[in-house]
Amino acid sequence: MRTIPSNERPERTQILWVTLVLIAAYLPLAGHLALQISAFVGLLFAIRLASLRWSAVLPGTWPLAALTLIGVANAAVTYQGWSGQNAGTALFVSMLVLKLMELRRKSDIRLVATLIGFLVVVEFLFDQSPWLVLYLGAVVLGGIALLVDLNGGLGEARRRGAITVAVRLSLQALPLTLILFLLFPRLSAPLWNLGVDPNKATTGISDSLEPGAISELVLNGELAFRARFEGTPPAADRLYWRGPVLWQTDGRRWSAGEGITNSGPAGALLETARPIDYEVTLEATDQRWLFALDMPASVPDGAFLSPDHQLIARQVVSAVKRYQVTSALDYRTAAPDPARLAAGLQVPDNVTPRMRRLVEDWQGRSNDDWALVQAGLQFFNRESFHYTLMPPRLGANPTDEFLFETRRGFCEHYAGSFAVLMRMAGIPSRIVLGYLGGELNRVGGYHMIWQSDAHAWVEVLIDGRGWVRVDPTAAVDPSRVDNSGASRMLGAGPSVRFTLEQADAIARFVRNMRLFADSLDAAWQDWVLGFSVEDQLALLERLRLGELREYGLVALMLAALGLTLGILVVASIRERKPLDPLQAEYARFCGRLAKIGLDRLPNEGPMDYAGRVVAQRPDLAPTVERFMELYVPARYGPDDSGDALVALADLLSHFRPRPARQMPDLLRRPR
Amino acid sequence: MAMHLTRHLPSDSASLGERVLEAARAVILGKDRELRLALACLMARGHLLIEDVPGVGKTTLAHLLARLLGLEYARIQFTSDLLPADVIGVSVYDRAAESFRFHPGPVFSQLVLADEINRATPKAQSALLEAMEERQVTVEGETRPLPEPFFVIATQNPLFQVGTFPLPESQLDRFLMRIRLGYPAAEQEKALLAGEDRRTMVARQQPALTGAQLMALQQQVVEVHAAPAIIEYVHAILAVTRSSERFLHGLSPRAGLGLLRAAKAWALLSDRDYVIPEDIQAVLPSCVVHRLAASEYGGRLDEEAVVSAILDHVALA
Repeated sequence: MRTIPSNERPERTQILWVTLVLIAAYLPLAGHLALQISAFVGLLFAIRLASLRWSAVLPGTWPLAALTLIGVANAAVTYQGWSGQNAGTALFVSMLVLKLMELRRKSDIRLVATLIGFLVVVEFLFDQSPWLVLYLGAVVLGGIALLVDLNGGLGEARRRGAITVAVRLSLQALPLTLILFLLFPRLSAPLWNLGVDPNKATTGISDSLEPGAISELVLNGELAFRARFEGTPPAADRLYWRGPVLWQTDGRRWSAGEGITNSGPAGALLETARPIDYEVTLEATDQRWLFALDMPASVPDGAFLSPDHQLIARQVVSAVKRYQVTSALDYRTAAPDPARLAAGLQVPDNVTPRMRRLVEDWQGRSNDDWALVQAGLQFFNRESFHYTLMPPRLGANPTDEFLFETRRGFCEHYAGSFAVLMRMAGIPSRIVLGYLGGELNRVGGYHMIWQSDAHAWVEVLIDGRGWVRVDPTAAVDPSRVDNSGASRMLGAGPSVRFTLEQADAIARFVRNMRLFADSLDAAWQDWVLGFSVEDQLALLERLRLGELREYGLVALMLAALGLTLGILVVASIRERKPLDPLQAEYARFCGRLAKIGLDRLPNEGPMDYAGRVVAQRPDLAPTVERFMELYVPARYGPDDSGDALVALADLLSHFRPRPARQMPDLLRRPR
Repeated sequence: MAMHLTRHLPSDSASLGERVLEAARAVILGKDRELRLALACLMARGHLLIEDVPGVGKTTLAHLLARLLGLEYARIQFTSDLLPADVIGVSVYDRAAESFRFHPGPVFSQLVLADEINRATPKAQSALLEAMEERQVTVEGETRPLPEPFFVIATQNPLFQVGTFPLPESQLDRFLMRIRLGYPAAEQEKALLAGEDRRTMVARQQPALTGAQLMALQQQVVEVHAAPAIIEYVHAILAVTRSSERFLHGLSPRAGLGLLRAAKAWALLSDRDYVIPEDIQAVLPSCVVHRLAASEYGGRLDEEAVVSAILDHVALA
C-alpha cells in the first residue's frame, strides 16, 4: 500500500465533522426518499461513526465493493430503475455516503464536503421552504468551515476559528449571491418546477362533490392560498372564493354535468358595484382553477372566464401562482344559455314523496321564487338541523335521509339537498365549490385561506336578478353548530362562522406564532421563489435599464459582480494595517529587485537577502549595502528618529536595477 | 560582505566575545557556529544542553568554556545510582562544633558540568534541574543561594542509547539551548588526530574574561534593543508552533523569552546593539527544537524540518 504523507492524513475530528455534516445534510431527504434508502445510508453512517472508536469495523476493499453493489441495487430496486428525481437522488446519496468508508486522505474529505454542496442543491428540488433554506444554510456553513479547517493554518482554537472564517466568507459571498439572483438571465420556469416528480400529490377542492369530499378537506391543515386586499378587506363572511360550478346530480354525487364545459362565451355581468382589488398567491393545485371572490370582474393574464363566472388558467397550476383580480361584491349576472338552463332544473331519480310534499308546501306559501327560497332557508333554520363535521353515515338515498331523519351534516349536505329542493320547485339551481372566509394575518397584512375553509354553496336563478348566491349552511341556527373541538383536534384550521374564538393566552400565542411563520413563508414565496422573468424585467425597468436583455443583462451582471468584488477587495486591503513608512520603502526596494528576478523569500531577513543579492549581482553592492546600512538600524535599532526615511527615499529614487546583461546586443535599441 | 552595521558598544563587547571564541576555536576545531551558540547561551544566562554520541567533545567543550570564562568548575558524572545528595550536598554532624555542618555538593559551583545527565534516575535529575531554575538550593529547611554566575552545561547521549532516562519535556524547557556537535569534518578530524591531546590543551587555557567582564556582558545582553517588529516576529513564531498540527503543544512563554534573550546575545556577538530577524533565525533551532514535542515520529523531531515548519509559516515584512 502506498504510504500517505502525514500532512495528508485526515484527523479524527475532521472525519467526525464531515460525517456529522453529511448526516445533517441528509436528514431532510429522509422524509422524501424511501425507507430502504435511509436504512442503507443510516447503516453506513453507523459504520463510519463506530469506526472512530473501533477502526476494525471499516470495510476493506472487497466488502466495500459489495456494499457499493448493494447500494446501487437498493436504489434501483426501490425505484424500479434509474430514471426520475427520487431514483437519481437515492443513487447519488448512497454513493456519496459510501465515500465516507474511504476517507484516507484529506482530499477525500474535501471531495465529500464539496459534494455536500451539490446534495443541498438537490434537496431544493424536493422542498423550497424558507426553513429548509435556513437549515441547509447552516449545513453548508458547517461544510465550508470543514474545508477551511482542511486547508489548515488555523491551529489550536481553530474549530471556532474555522466557523468564523466560514461565516465571513459566506457574508462576503452574500452580495454576489444577490446580484446573481437578481440579474442572472432566467428560465421562464424555475428549476424546481421541472415537473420531474410525478408522484407529488396535491390536495384541494376536486371537480365533484360527494359525501365526505369536503369533510376530508376540512380536516386538512394545509394552506390553499393567500389574498392581499388593496384597501379595506370585506368582512370574512362575505369572502366567498369561487371555484368550480356543478350542475349534474344523481342524488348522491354532484359533478360538472354532461355537455357543460368551460369553453364558450364568458359569463357576463350586467351590473356591478363595490369593486375590490386584490392579489392571490395560489398554492399548487394541479388544476386550472383560479379562485376569486364572487364575482370576478377582471381576468388575469394567462386565464379566462368561464360561462359560469369561474376563472380558469390556461395552464395547470403546478407551482405557486400569483395573480391580480378585481371582483364586484354586488353584481347582476346575465341569464344562462339554454343548455345550462335545462341542466339547472335537472332532478335526480331518487326524490321521495315527502320531499315533494315539502316543496309543495313551500310553493303554496310563496308568491314568487325568492319567497320560496326564503321558505327553504327558514326550513333549515327552524327545524332541528345541526351543523357537524362528524355526520352519521347516510344510506342509499342520502338527500331524503338527511332532510328528514339525521338532520346532521355540513355544507355539502345542506347545499346539495337545498339545490335539489329548489330544482324540484322549478328554480334553476347550481352548486358552487370554493372557500369561505379566510384568516387575517395581521403580521403580514393578508388573508390566509386554508383547505379547511373549503365550502359549497348554492346559486339560484331569480328572474331579473340573475344568479343569486344562497348559503343554506349559514341558515342553520348558530346554537346548533357543533363546536366540540373534535374537528380542531383532527388538525382542521379555524373556519369562519363555525368556530369559537380561542380565548386562552397560550392558544393565542401559538396562533400568533403560526401567523408570523406564515407571513415569513409568504414573503419567501413572493420575493424569492416567485421572482420570475417578468419580475426581473420589471426591476430593470424601474432601474431604467429596461433596454438590457440577454447579452446586455449578462454584461450588467458581470459589471455588478466585478464592482462588488472590487469593493470587497479594496475593503479587505483597507482593513490591513497601514505599512509603516520604513516598511513601505523596504517593500519598494524588494519590489525593484523582484523585477530583475531577485525576489525576497517570504521569511528571509534583510541582511540575508542583501547578501544573496550582492552575491548574484556584485554590481549592485554599493546601493544595496547603502540601503541596508540605513534601513536595518532604522527599522530594528533603538533610534527611531526617522532621519533615515528621507535618505532611503532618495536612494530608491535612483535605484532602477536592470536585469543581468545576458541578452544579445541585437535586441538593444540602436540610438 | 562589507557592510558596516556596527555601532560603538560601550565596553567593546564583541571583541570580548570574539576573544573567547578565538581561544575556543583553537581547541575545538571546525565548530565555530556551535561555539558561538554556546557562548551566546551563557551570555544570555541560560543553561546549555549538549546532545550527541559519546566522544565528539561534549565534555571538552564544557570544560573549555569554564576555563575561558574563568569560572569555578565542578563536574558531576551522572550515573544510575546517583542520589540527590550527591548533587546538592549533605549535612554531617560535626563533633567538634556539636552541630550539623552542611557540606555543599558540586552544584555550588559557578559552572556545573552535568555529564550524561540522562543516565541518572529522574530523582537525581530533578535535584539538579530544580537548582537550575531557582538558582538556589533548600536543604533541611535552609535556603542556600547558588554562586553568581551560575551555569549548568549538561551533556546527554541520544535517547536511543541503552540505559538512559529521557528528560521530560518540562525539564527540557529549562535549558535555554540544546546544541549538537556532530562529527568533525575531514580536515578538522585529521588536524585533531595529528594535534596535541585536547585535555592538556584545555588545562593550559587562561581565562579570556574576568568575572566582572562576564557579568557586564550579561548585563549588555539584557540591554540589546528589540524593535516592535522583532517582538511581533517572535510572537508570530510562538503562535505558529501553538497552532500547527505538527506539534502536540506549542512553545511556552518562557521559551519565547528565552528565544529573544538568546537572539540578543547573538546580536551582541555580532557587534550590534539591536536584534534583527536573522538573529532570531540563527538561534531558533537550538532554542526551540528540544522544547517541541512532535505529534509524530514518537516525539523525536528532525531539527531542520521543525525549523522550516516554523519559519515557512511566518512571513517577514
